[in-house]
Amino acid sequence: MSTIVRARGLTKRYPGVTALDAVDLDLPAGSVGLVGANGAGKTTLFRLLLGLSQPDAGTVDVCGIPVADDPIGVRSQIGYMPEHDCLPLDQTAADVVATFGELGGLPVRAARQRASEVLDLVGLDEARFRPVGGFSTGMRQRTKLAQAIVADPKLVLLDEPTAGLDPSGREEMLALVDRLGSFGIAVVLATHLLDDVARVCDHVVMLDGGRLVTDAPTESLLHQTGTVTVDVGPTAVATLLAALTRRGLAVTSDDGGLLEVTITGDAELDTIRDVVADLDLPLHRLTNRLTSLDEVFVHRAPSP
Amino acid sequence: MTSPVSTGAVYDRGYRPYEGRRGGRQAATAALYRTSLRRAIGLRRPWRQKVAPAVLLAIAVIPAVINVGIGYLTRDTPAEGFEFITYREYLGVSSALLLFVALVAPDIVCPDRRQRVLPLIFARPLTGPDYALAKVGAIFTCVFAFSFLPQVVLYVGQMLVSDGALDYLTDNTAVLWQVPVAAALLALFYSVLGVAVASLSGRRMVAGATLLGITLVSSTVSGILVRADAGPEAPTDQPAALLNLLALPLRVRDLVFLGRLGEDSPLSGVEGGGAMALACYTAVVVACLAVILARYRSVEA
Repeated sequence: MSTIVRARGLTKRYPGVTALDAVDLDLPAGSVGLVGANGAGKTTLFRLLLGLSQPDAGTVDVCGIPVADDPIGVRSQIGYMPEHDCLPLDQTAADVVATFGELGGLPVRAARQRASEVLDLVGLDEARFRPVGGFSTGMRQRTKLAQAIVADPKLVLLDEPTAGLDPSGREEMLALVDRLGSFGIAVVLATHLLDDVARVCDHVVMLDGGRLVTDAPTESLLHQTGTVTVDVGPTAVATLLAALTRRGLAVTSDDGGLLEVTITGDAELDTIRDVVADLDLPLHRLTNRLTSLDEVFVHRAPSP
Repeated sequence: MTSPVSTGAVYDRGYRPYEGRRGGRQAATAALYRTSLRRAIGLRRPWRQKVAPAVLLAIAVIPAVINVGIGYLTRDTPAEGFEFITYREYLGVSSALLLFVALVAPDIVCPDRRQRVLPLIFARPLTGPDYALAKVGAIFTCVFAFSFLPQVVLYVGQMLVSDGALDYLTDNTAVLWQVPVAAALLALFYSVLGVAVASLSGRRMVAGATLLGITLVSSTVSGILVRADAGPEAPTDQPAALLNLLALPLRVRDLVFLGRLGEDSPLSGVEGGGAMALACYTAVVVACLAVILARYRSVEA
């Protein structure tokens, strides 16, 4: 997979704080999760990628173009969805998206046509002639995504796209982000929600205090942990916990009503199956538990 | 009898990559200019937003229509040298233009900052100067059009009601360059001043009131400093007239039409008054451009 972003020794300092500290990156053209707590350097990295800010040291290339040499050329290749509200509230979604299509270099007619298409794609086809000011948070996020992709960018930078969304809105937004890869658009998704990254990104970059913690494929980070997760519903957790413990298995219960059982081979799995069957419990889930990105982050981030 | 079966179907049109022509920085700037201009004249906006440009155009055109109308009604008994309004006087109905700019400049500039649209705009292939050019250009176009179009109405109307259209044309060739040049200078002054003041605030009301306040206060202070009855005996007092931002573009207009300051100008008795007015005009325009460029040099993403 080709490299869409390449940074070497990228450093950005503000008075009293180093936002990015000699970061080296090679982001593949796919879905990349940019993970870090608030102040980790995610937004600073986006500003450097867009050429809106100059690094104090180091270089960065986007789509093969050095940002320092040709920031305008780089911006022609990028779509950007900021975290904060950024839409003109008294304009219709169609006008907003078409305008940003034109600003991205599309001719007027093509911009209006593509605005209609991408608003259809993000599920706002019927609302496209309504002013953005009357939209819900979810609809505004969709409009922001639509304006980011209307000019058919090679790379789209998404800053906390699921922020402020309810669970169903979040699912829908993640599904849309997941589809961008199939459109041939590389994605860098900045978030502090590691679950979002695990869901839709095939590469993870972790930043902490401006330093690079991890830059690796998501798959390589999610190892099997030697435990399985058992879900029999909240009412039967205690019964199964007691029964499995009596059979000599190491079992723990988490806050979510799930049991985690340590296994060394198939024998333990057979035991779990038999106990669940004997007690006539509904087995909703029995899966190998992988390390979460939260655990990776906690283990790899340097202690304060 | 069975009802007809619906043959409708829902298609997911999916995503289609764009493979057509794609513009760069100039195209982006032009797009921002078009959007700002549409907004300024109220296109694709509620009727309330169309009132200001419509009223201004009406105010600007009515004197021309009256002038032409009187010329038509008195065509058989023409008063020698009758002119209800001259081209010079007609250019620069300053208070109406100022009110229009005070309404429109904040409207196309302030929401971008207040609603945090600027980071989104600057993530596109354009720069701070491009943004400034588009916004100033939009206001310039409006003010120029509203200054120039009534002059066209006046000129064409006068030509048609005159005894000989060709004679009128040949007798008034100078205004063919004077009007557009003076209108352009007027539009440049108001557009950079309006955008500069609007760029300093995210609130439309504050920006509009500030623009009106600056010009009206400068006019009042200048009026106090200039002793209206001073005359040529006290020429040293007269340069205070340069402080009048409302009248400054009219002094430059006079230079275009007359080659000197008008007789009614408090600067007319001052040696080099025309040059001083031109220098002041240039200084204000340059200062406003500097403010605008400084405001959009760096934008928080």
